[in-house]
Amino acid sequence: MSAADPNAPHPPARAHPREKMNWAAIRTVVAKDMRAVRRSKAIVLPMVLVPSLLLLVMPISIGLFARSAPTDQVTTALRSPLVQNLVEPILALPEREQIVVLVLGYLLSPLLLVIPLMVSAVLAADGFAGEKERRTLESLLHLPISDRDLFVAKVLGAFGPAVAITWVGSVVYLVVSNIVAWPVMERPFLPFAQWAVMMIWVAPAIALLALGLLVIVSSKAKTTQEANQLGGAVILPLIFLAAAQASTLLLVPVPMVLLAGLLIWAVALGLVIVNARRFTRDRLASSS
Amino acid sequence: MTAAIWAQGLTKVFASGVAVDRLTLDVPAGSVLALLGPNGAGKTTTVRLLNGVLTPEGGRAQVAGFDPATEGDEVRRRTGVLTENAGLDDRLTTRENLRFTARLRGFDTAEADRRTDRMLARFGMAERADDLTQGFSTGQRKRVALARALLHDPEVLFLDEPTSGLDPAGTRDVIDLIQSLRGEGRTIVLATHFLGEAGRLADFMAVMHRGELHAFGTPAELADELFEGIGGSIDLGGPADDALVATAAATAGVLSAESSELGLALRLVDREALARVVAAAVDAGCAVYGVDAHVPTLEDVYFAVEQRIIETTGDRVNDAFLLGEPAGPGESL
Repeated sequence: MSAADPNAPHPPARAHPREKMNWAAIRTVVAKDMRAVRRSKAIVLPMVLVPSLLLLVMPISIGLFARSAPTDQVTTALRSPLVQNLVEPILALPEREQIVVLVLGYLLSPLLLVIPLMVSAVLAADGFAGEKERRTLESLLHLPISDRDLFVAKVLGAFGPAVAITWVGSVVYLVVSNIVAWPVMERPFLPFAQWAVMMIWVAPAIALLALGLLVIVSSKAKTTQEANQLGGAVILPLIFLAAAQASTLLLVPVPMVLLAGLLIWAVALGLVIVNARRFTRDRLASSS
Repeated sequence: MTAAIWAQGLTKVFASGVAVDRLTLDVPAGSVLALLGPNGAGKTTTVRLLNGVLTPEGGRAQVAGFDPATEGDEVRRRTGVLTENAGLDDRLTTRENLRFTARLRGFDTAEADRRTDRMLARFGMAERADDLTQGFSTGQRKRVALARALLHDPEVLFLDEPTSGLDPAGTRDVIDLIQSLRGEGRTIVLATHFLGEAGRLADFMAVMHRGELHAFGTPAELADELFEGIGGSIDLGGPADDALVATAAATAGVLSAESSELGLALRLVDREALARVVAAAVDAGCAVYGVDAHVPTLEDVYFAVEQRIIETTGDRVNDAFLLGEPAGPGESL
């Protein structure tokens, strides 16, 4: 065998080749991760409980309360500084419908954005930091899957379920809210255009944004718990920000909602690209 | 013979320092290389470099004909790795762990199932196939991990501490298995703390210390380099007298002779010289109760290399290694 010059500079390591994505390998990793996640109570429980609370318990209980609230209380509620910005479109509705639409359409539904944030954050922590914690990362790195395909698999494994749960949850919320409000509204009041755009366009962007942040955090963390704790410091303020601003998004024209979504997508994709470039076996193995 | 593994000047530097320093070695196909050294020697980093998991800062390597730094996936398609920690996903069953690896190695569902079943049977894990691996003993985990490493009939096998944590029966099973794998023509790199198992298996040995390769070759070659002749002893039932020591020392092929507690301790050019000394002792009227020609073992070679390391670097080699204890978790891959 011919000997190479040991002092020769090494060629750039693992610049992502222009070869096709290995979707079979990506599907295999995603399927394995999903199967493992389904068996983990620590992951499944919050993913069931939080959406159940947001999609069922809250709209039913608060909707029932709002439906039966006396008219004078409605008037007081609409004059509250908390909802001043929301009053105008709601005041156009018949008086008995106002509180129901306010609560279920404008105040409660933005909380649905917590779901993509939470699900993608939990799954990303499990998919990235969890591999280190379970000491399965090393054996994974010794398998023939490119860095790029492994990264894509890990991102899709968190992003896909987060979006799926959010969209299914949105439909559940939509149905539950319309049923609860039916005696007052006597027609479906959800979805309205801004609400639909927020759930279809903005929510996935938020899921990707949370994922991008959690991947950065997970690269520093040794355990899922540590990733979640570090992530909480980043994600929680985002949750509050999202919840606070989402109500406003529901009031602005649809193009504005689309634009806001686009901005979030841009930031999220930027984070993902940065993470993808940093996601190399060498870096992972050196830090594990 | 074609080299299955070849490295020249391979160097890896971490923030904490140089982990592998200008490693050069050449392992023929079908042979077993024992990669020896204490904690922090660079054995695990070497395995990672050779399998394309780490990118070297300098030097080149080829494994199964491919450069691990630039053709990592091609290398990994042809290698199997047993990491010190088995690395099984405990949320999956034995079968699911194996099938996942088989699918990722590109086998279709039917072939992945076929290979999984074959490996489960070969490693005696068929009855536990559908159990979660959580709670498996170390031996069971090793067996599953070995099955996983062999699913695709790899040309080259990297085994990192394959017997650590195993009981004697488990250790014997793994050693028998490695011997059978060698018989199948695979190239095996055995990174281990246990000199006994390395001695039974290795065709070549590489001794590393603080990232540097201090010795590489067959145990016999290294013994020739390190030792003058072979050792020999003759049991006379008591210390040899001065006359017999002088006779022995004057015998052809004897390098040195001295009296020992049981008789004579000798350094000899070869085994024939020992026969000549025995004949001389018998001629002198001595009763000979036993004769032993001591050809240096891998263990002897290792400790001689270690002694040389201590003399040249002033470093003390990790005591845990000297005692043959398993590595701590910090050493794992």
